[in-house]
Amino acid sequence: MADKRASEILKGARGEAARAKSSADLEQVRVKYLGRQGILTQFLRSLSSIPVAERPEVGREANLAKAEIETLLGERLAELKAAERRHALESQRVDLTLPGRRPSPGTLHPLTLVQDEIIEIFLGLGFAVAEGPEVESDFYNFEALNIPRDHPARDMQDTFYLSEDVLLRTHTSPMQIRIMKAMRPPLRYIFPGRVYRRDIADASHSPVFHQVEGLAVDRNISMGDLKGTLELFAREMFGPRTTTRFRPSFFPFTEPSAEVDVRCFLCGGEGCRVCKQSGWLEILGSGMVHPQVLRNVGYDPEEVTGWAFGMGVERIAMLKYGIDDIRLFFENDLRFLTQFA
Amino acid sequence: MKVSYRWLKESVATDLSPKAVADRLTNAGIEVAAAAPLVSGLSGVVVGEVEAIDKHGVCRVATADRHFTVVCGAPNVAVGVRAAFAPPGAALPGGQQVQTTRKRGVLSEGMLCSEKELGIGDDADGILLLAADAPLGSDLVTSLGLDDWILEVEVTPNRPDCLSVVGVAREIAALTGAPFRFPAIAVKEGDADIVALAAVEVEDPDLCPRYAARLITGLTVAPSPPWLAQRLRAVGLRPINNLVDVTNYVLWELGHPLHAFDSDTLAQRKVIVRRARPGERLTTLDGQERELAESMLLITDPERAIALAGVMGGANTEVTAETTSVLLESAYFNPASIRRTSKRLGLATEAAYRFERGADIEGLREALDRAAQLMADLGGGTVAKGVLDVYPSPRPHPRIPLRLERIQRVIGICPPREEVVRILQGLGFAVDEAKEPPDIVVPSFRRDVSMEDDLAEEVIRVWGYERIPSTLPGGSLALVRRPAALRRAARVTQALAAAGLSEVITYGFVDPERLRLLGWDPASPELMTLRNPLSQERSILRPSLVPGLLEVVATNRHRQIPDVRCFEVGRVFRSGGPDGLAREEARVGIALTGLRASRAWYAGRDTVDLHDAKGAAEHVLASLGVEEYGVRASASSFLEAGRSGELVVGGEAVGWFGELALGPQEGYDLAGPVFLAELSLDRLGALPPRRVRYRALPRFPAVQRDVAFVMPQALAVEEVESEIRQRGGALLKSVTLFDVYAGKGVESGMRSVAWSLTFQADDRTLTDEEVNALHAAIIEAVTKRFGIAVRGMTPEGG
Ligand SMILES: [Zn+2]
Repeated sequence: MADKRASEILKGARGEAARAKSSADLEQVRVKYLGRQGILTQFLRSLSSIPVAERPEVGREANLAKAEIETLLGERLAELKAAERRHALESQRVDLTLPGRRPSPGTLHPLTLVQDEIIEIFLGLGFAVAEGPEVESDFYNFEALNIPRDHPARDMQDTFYLSEDVLLRTHTSPMQIRIMKAMRPPLRYIFPGRVYRRDIADASHSPVFHQVEGLAVDRNISMGDLKGTLELFAREMFGPRTTTRFRPSFFPFTEPSAEVDVRCFLCGGEGCRVCKQSGWLEILGSGMVHPQVLRNVGYDPEEVTGWAFGMGVERIAMLKYGIDDIRLFFENDLRFLTQFA
Repeated sequence: MKVSYRWLKESVATDLSPKAVADRLTNAGIEVAAAAPLVSGLSGVVVGEVEAIDKHGVCRVATADRHFTVVCGAPNVAVGVRAAFAPPGAALPGGQQVQTTRKRGVLSEGMLCSEKELGIGDDADGILLLAADAPLGSDLVTSLGLDDWILEVEVTPNRPDCLSVVGVAREIAALTGAPFRFPAIAVKEGDADIVALAAVEVEDPDLCPRYAARLITGLTVAPSPPWLAQRLRAVGLRPINNLVDVTNYVLWELGHPLHAFDSDTLAQRKVIVRRARPGERLTTLDGQERELAESMLLITDPERAIALAGVMGGANTEVTAETTSVLLESAYFNPASIRRTSKRLGLATEAAYRFERGADIEGLREALDRAAQLMADLGGGTVAKGVLDVYPSPRPHPRIPLRLERIQRVIGICPPREEVVRILQGLGFAVDEAKEPPDIVVPSFRRDVSMEDDLAEEVIRVWGYERIPSTLPGGSLALVRRPAALRRAARVTQALAAAGLSEVITYGFVDPERLRLLGWDPASPELMTLRNPLSQERSILRPSLVPGLLEVVATNRHRQIPDVRCFEVGRVFRSGGPDGLAREEARVGIALTGLRASRAWYAGRDTVDLHDAKGAAEHVLASLGVEEYGVRASASSFLEAGRSGELVVGGEAVGWFGELALGPQEGYDLAGPVFLAELSLDRLGALPPRRVRYRALPRFPAVQRDVAFVMPQALAVEEVESEIRQRGGALLKSVTLFDVYAGKGVESGMRSVAWSLTFQADDRTLTDEEVNALHAAIIEAVTKRFGIAVRGMTPEGG
């Protein structure tokens, strides 16, 4: 007659596992059957006391029962845990609409964002970057740039003076002179920085603003190269479909000179308030470095040619973001500053 | 400068519309800022004649076929005059429909209109009178030539020749190929020779290279005829009388400033051009008595000054209603001298504006003849025979060889030779093709052209900038990256923004009163003060970023934004830099006030304190790789005593942090405490760069022990911590201060400070016994050295 104890133990365990209501209950079932003092453990231990002939058969059944109990406990445990987890989530509902815990980073000034973008584009075109003094001499700011005293061109830039010969630079162009005096061609540079004009602040004027100046001097560099470079810049800055216009103008330190306009992207060229009905937005001034300026720094205009350009960072930022009052950049109202990051 | 399209068409026969002309000019560098009809909304206004006026001011106005009853109170209304009349149904600018209305109890059928009502001028005092032969009933727009467009031309300083109708017309002709016509000028001279009647002497030809004059006698001053008055009004000038209006007309037409003296007021009818004498004074036309400097050029007679040459006439020789003879001046003055005089006296006139840009030394004769004849025609006078013309050294026309290869090289493209020649000739240059390369002869009105590249520009701007090919410069590769100073600034900017601060940019001008409030002496020679500030409040270049940051905090507070955590990266200025310039230093400044974190359901409601400012400063140092630094107490004129410290690296102060003192806090009208920090990016940049080396990761477990000491408030944690480190030696891998507590359970004047210590060996697993012994030794050393007690110990398993 076969030994039925193993199958009875298995039956008991199956029943108790099914009745367990929680993973904690189930653990107790596990201990009861499989623990050190568990029923099955003890039964296995007692095998040595049964007749040798029956031993292999009973032992096999006992081990099968053990494996089966382990499996059914495992399955039941998974069931219970899933149920418990479900229950826990249901009882602690989360409001998915509650705002997330966000890190609160600060903001970069829009002028910094735009200036960085300009610098980035020209770095990509192989222009090095240099900075110069904001307090400049009359020589570098005017004389060396072909703007003598008593010349009407000085009216184009109202100037803050610190003394007879020392002033706040009115443009970044003095860096053209400083770099050309310090280096030999070929040169390819941009000069970002603050500049100052004695203009009363209003929606379109500011006594302080920022420029990025560019300069390239080489043996054979033409106005065509200037045009191509600035068109590339405009498309990179304002989008690939940007249309540009090169228009003659006058700067004392370039000859020929050109103003660069982009097609008004608000009206598409039809004419609107922002472009003053012209369909074009002026973005920068440029030109071939005046031969006299080259001579002023000891270059031979028959040997090298060069071009330069200068743009206002505020102007570009105003166009890019649709800002209609330049004073906003310097008021630093946090509700303004936090719009650009 | 305003230019009338109809007027232009007298000198250039173009078929282009006003808008098309404007575009073409703009694309050639003569910027037309606006092109608009002279009048708009005007219709149905006709020429009417006042036939009768009763004693109540009720007029009977006749047109070609009708009579109207019109109430009019204008002072210049008179029987027999022809005037602008708007009958019922006419439209006036601004959308006004003229109707029959009851005025002073009478039905008024329409109205007699003033310049202002017609939108063609500013005069609102009387009705617009018309020529006696103006056809009755004809449309005012056509009979006055009001069907015109006005171009607003913005002329760059190098092109004074385009400050005239003829100059702009010449450009249009060159640009479009339309024929250009210079006005026909012929003078009908009388018998009397000017040499017998007047004299001119130039004592200072360096400042007055040419002086020409004509004499016109037998004149009668009267209002200008309507065509002239209307032409002046159209370009924004106010008609005055026939003589004055002629000089303005010729100024606009030919661009040359003229001056008319009442020749009967001149002593000996003699003009002497010379520099002012010491102490000399002159009352100018505007009624101001002016003190003259010896460098200023005057027009004088043998007895006194009669005009500031090229700037403004004198009151003593002014043309008046009684004037019958005029000495008309047409001269060329040294541009720089005119500019200096005009600037010095603050006298910016139409004449000075042109002379300082350079007049046409040859064209001045045509202007003189044109004006003399017009005066004689309009004033009923006679032009004396001959011209007094002092021009001792006639200026040669520059000849510039022009190589087409140069154009090709500078521009990147060159038009065909015939095209180059045609363009230059169209602009008034003569081309001497006998030479190779051809010589280009520059006309006297183009003083701006002095070299080959100027000619290249002329050629290419007329040919069209749009034809320049777009190419990219060639050349060899070169390493480009941002310079160290910019990289530093960018790193700090990024770090602070990432840490929750907002970047600001301020003007950088400081108010001396604000500086005083912050404890600076605004008169200090260290500071850099503007000579010509826009206002006193913005007169000093910032010696620190603090004043600007405080303004930002104040601005936001006044706009109901109480929590501000901001920073600025920028330069500060002190005197004494190289070559008389400034010592400029790049700094970062930080200002914190209000809540530490933006309001949110999960955020605390803590406000910032001194340690936030210090922490932000430390964050700046860390972003630049500076890990080793010290803090020493420091005193500052605008920070609270005991609440400010200096950050020291390698023995040198690189910055500071602190709490704003109450005085300035209230002076700036700030609600709560403000915590500040400022560091020198230049000084930090001058430090030896940090060399980053990899350290092997630990291979054996670490053991952590916490300890808290109850210590006097006055004892610095830095001292205790350094004792801990010293006693801990090599096995003490890290020390973290994680709690500071004062209050219940801690004696007053004391605080509890807790550190977490991490022990670890590089070569073995530490035993509990080893760690316990070392921990105990540290506690013993600290308690003994500072006489303080341990608050509690919570050993935790490692
Ligand atoms: Zn537009």
